[in-house]
Amino acid sequence: MKLELLNLTKQYGNFTALDRVNITFTEGIYGILGANGAGKSTMMNLITDNISRTQGQILFNGTDILKLGREFRRVLGYMPQQQGYYEHMTAQTFLSYMADLKAIPKKQAREEIERLLEITNLSNVRHKKLGGFSGGMKQRVLLAQALLGNPKVVILDEPTAGLDPKERIRIRSFIAELSRERIILLATHIVSDIESISDQILMMKHGRVVGLDRPDRLIERVAQEVRESVVPGHFSLEDVYLYYLGE
Amino acid sequence: MRELGRILSRRRLALGLALIALLNGLLFLREQKKNDYGLDLELPVSGGLVYFDGSFTAAQVTVDARAAYRRYAQRLERIREMPLAGAVTALTEELDALKGKTGGEEGAEDDRLDYVAVKNLLDKAEYLAGYGDWLETIQKNKENLLTFSLFNDPNSFSGRNILKTAGEFEKLRGVELTLGADGAVEAFMTFPLTDYFLVLALLLLALSFLEERKAGLWSVIHAAPNGRVKLAVRRTLILLGASVFGVVLLYGTDLALGFALYGGFGDLDRPVQSVEALGRLPMLATVGGFLIRYFLLRMAAAFLIALILWLMLTAVNNVKYTVIAAAGVLAAEYSLYTFLPVQSVFNVLKYFNLFTYISLSDLYTNYLNVDLFGFPLGIRGVSQLALIPLCPLLASVCVAVHCNKKPTEGRDLLGRAAVKINSVADRGLRRLGLFGMELHKTLWIQKGVVAAALLVYVAAGLTYTAPVSFASLAEQTAREYTAVFAGPVTDETFDRIDAEQTLLNNDLDAYEDAQKAFAEGLLEYPELDVYAHKADTAQIKSEGLSRVRARCEALRAQGEREGFAPWLIDETPFESVYGVRAQDNQQRAALAAVLALTLLLAGSMVYERQSGMMFLLRSTARGRGALLRRKLLLAAVTAAFVWAAVYGMEVYTLLSGFEIPAWRAPVKNLSMLTSFPLKCSVAGGLALLYACRWLALFCVAAVTLCLSGLFRRMETACVASCAVTLIPSVLYAYRGIGLFRPLAVILPVEIMPLLLEANGALSAFLTYLAALAAAAILAIYGLFATKCGGGR
Repeated sequence: MKLELLNLTKQYGNFTALDRVNITFTEGIYGILGANGAGKSTMMNLITDNISRTQGQILFNGTDILKLGREFRRVLGYMPQQQGYYEHMTAQTFLSYMADLKAIPKKQAREEIERLLEITNLSNVRHKKLGGFSGGMKQRVLLAQALLGNPKVVILDEPTAGLDPKERIRIRSFIAELSRERIILLATHIVSDIESISDQILMMKHGRVVGLDRPDRLIERVAQEVRESVVPGHFSLEDVYLYYLGE
Repeated sequence: MRELGRILSRRRLALGLALIALLNGLLFLREQKKNDYGLDLELPVSGGLVYFDGSFTAAQVTVDARAAYRRYAQRLERIREMPLAGAVTALTEELDALKGKTGGEEGAEDDRLDYVAVKNLLDKAEYLAGYGDWLETIQKNKENLLTFSLFNDPNSFSGRNILKTAGEFEKLRGVELTLGADGAVEAFMTFPLTDYFLVLALLLLALSFLEERKAGLWSVIHAAPNGRVKLAVRRTLILLGASVFGVVLLYGTDLALGFALYGGFGDLDRPVQSVEALGRLPMLATVGGFLIRYFLLRMAAAFLIALILWLMLTAVNNVKYTVIAAAGVLAAEYSLYTFLPVQSVFNVLKYFNLFTYISLSDLYTNYLNVDLFGFPLGIRGVSQLALIPLCPLLASVCVAVHCNKKPTEGRDLLGRAAVKINSVADRGLRRLGLFGMELHKTLWIQKGVVAAALLVYVAAGLTYTAPVSFASLAEQTAREYTAVFAGPVTDETFDRIDAEQTLLNNDLDAYEDAQKAFAEGLLEYPELDVYAHKADTAQIKSEGLSRVRARCEALRAQGEREGFAPWLIDETPFESVYGVRAQDNQQRAALAAVLALTLLLAGSMVYERQSGMMFLLRSTARGRGALLRRKLLLAAVTAAFVWAAVYGMEVYTLLSGFEIPAWRAPVKNLSMLTSFPLKCSVAGGLALLYACRWLALFCVAAVTLCLSGLFRRMETACVASCAVTLIPSVLYAYRGIGLFRPLAVILPVEIMPLLLEANGALSAFLTYLAALAAAAILAIYGLFATKCGGGR
């Protein structure tokens, strides 16, 4: 399974939000790091075809996703950065509705909803309206909907924002379990969220990819480059983040 | 000031208040028109006909109420200075003279207007002249009633009540009432909708105080140094200001519109009892003085109502349940006020009630004392006095509740019940498909069910028939003969017409013979008079019959020329429902349909955007084409519902009110559709008409759906959709601005004006429908082509 971004560019007038990005994603978790405005969400919106690309191609197993259309969206699970939900729907109805939109058969949907409500620790509030949920609970509902239908490509934009540490660890572990036979793109500001679970880290700055490698290799590379100025053995992904993305 | 600024910046609130002010003014004007500007338009002689229930029945010739009021005002001005007794005599004489002139024939319109004006003036003058006697009667009643054993105990409620009533009206003795233009004050005092609009406005304002709860800011505000007493006092002052402003705006609008409609307030120095609606007010005051006093009391009452609403809304923590609880209290109070019998031992609950302050004018238009432990208590006096302690007391309670209510306190029992209800609803909702969920979102989540219920209510109240009156008796007779000879036009039809003509000729000949006999002294005058009467009738019938014959001949000729079977149809039902006179009805029905459609669908697309769901929806397999197709299906179903609600009633009226044997007749036999280009029956033509109406409504629905997708907020989408679909129609239909005719979507929905103009030819209608369909197709294309976040 392959998701390729070829020369992908997005411009808003004179502003280039994404600049000739070329990446090939295969099965595994890709942690995407970048400051605000680095182009993470733009890239995700382009992959989900929510905005039009200015230039380039996105290929899924060799075919452009625009050509695949509905077929690509069948294997896609998306959790956007901005919380979108129907505040007057209960968690259960919302997930049922999303399952319907994802063309999941009713019976399968029922089982999956049960499982995902358990995993996201929402079973006891399934009949409460989303409008009455806390930010973290809403975040978990959105994560649950993204995982409905056993998607092959999962795009999670800041999935752990607003969650308490316990929930964050729980969700992180769950995402780590999901990674088999899936492409998971996980954008975040919180380096610790992806440090332990990511197979690859993608560093983005000003719409460009400035680094893509395994976390340990990135740490090693940066450690070699700045060996003189730091205490050996104390390098973390945060230092890599600051090295690549700090001003 | 910041709190006021925050409230004023709420667009939804501002829009709601503006809508309330606008609706109040419009409905006030409508009410005046509906009430014939306070005039009794009844005429003594019938002169027209109306067709209903399959039979002709005599109906009053109607006069134009506005013209009659102008005439009334002119005459009022003329006799205003006359002594009342003299005015009554003069008006009585004039009325007697006019009685014989108001017949149904043409040319009597002027006399009819005079009759109505004089009759109403006379009623008014008689009331004023008889007021002194009425006061005397109250005093006499006191003396008479006290002589009966049942009432003569001065220590019983009855005895005390009689004495109190007589005592209060005693001070009016000798008051000199005078004629004047009372319409504005009468209308002002008897228009209850403004009372409810004011409550609605105050409720919206009080609800805006709960914004912080919805936004999750309650605990932050409660913890802030100025978030308790200071904020509560500010809100109390805002409520006071809003009460004053609301009263001035809403009641001031009524008074100003009344002033414009009824030509002023008359002499404001006249005793207030000169206004008939205030005749039972035992208070010495001038009209002007009363109005000032009423406005001040209205403001105090509005403030009290606002405080009660605020108190009810702050009493429960959960916003939703707060609203339910407030609605429950209001419903209970309204039930007590409306349905509790006057004689009930609990009638104190009826009169010392929130609705006493809402319907404040009732205190001044009625006189009533209630029994409180055997003592008569004047509702008006007590209610007025109670305002003085109640307002500051409730204000203090509101401030105290605001300060002491803890944001996270208490177990939410209603919340637990809601979860139980939701679990049942969830079980049903998970079985719904995409379309079912769209329907659920529209009807339930976006409160479309309210618009739907309102539509059904409005549709049930719409008038679908217009009276068909005739210019002459000959025309009336022609209609009657048409009903008799209705059916296919054959030689037999002409034979039957000839046979009838022969009978009529016999009566005419008999009269000629009788005249000769009378000249020869062989016949007395009364006998001749009988013949003359029969001949007159025969003459009129003969004229009617000639018209029917001519119509049959014309139909036969047209049928031969254009290849359809001629059929004489009694067209009265069709004229009554679809004809020129029914155009106002058709217009109203189309406007109601378009408004309902807009309200039901304007939120459909924008709701997704406002909820932030667009990106999520579009990333799912069925979130694009499939979802949009469901939304279009929803538009079609909504159009069908609106169509059924509005036009189903029309068809029901047509079918239940009229017997129509001519369904199978070719439609071209209807004189209003002689140029109809399709060969079909009347039933087929009507089916086509209704199908086209649905199509036009569906096009409007599609355009509304597209407009809904262009905006980010529900209110903006609603306003924009109304601006496109409704405003041009209203400006064209009600203001007569021709510029808006091409944009008036009600024309293709109504259809009939376009067909009537062209005598049934479809060209104008098809042009409109094609333009509307093109707009709908473009809208649908736009919906499918749009990406949710293409620009910045």
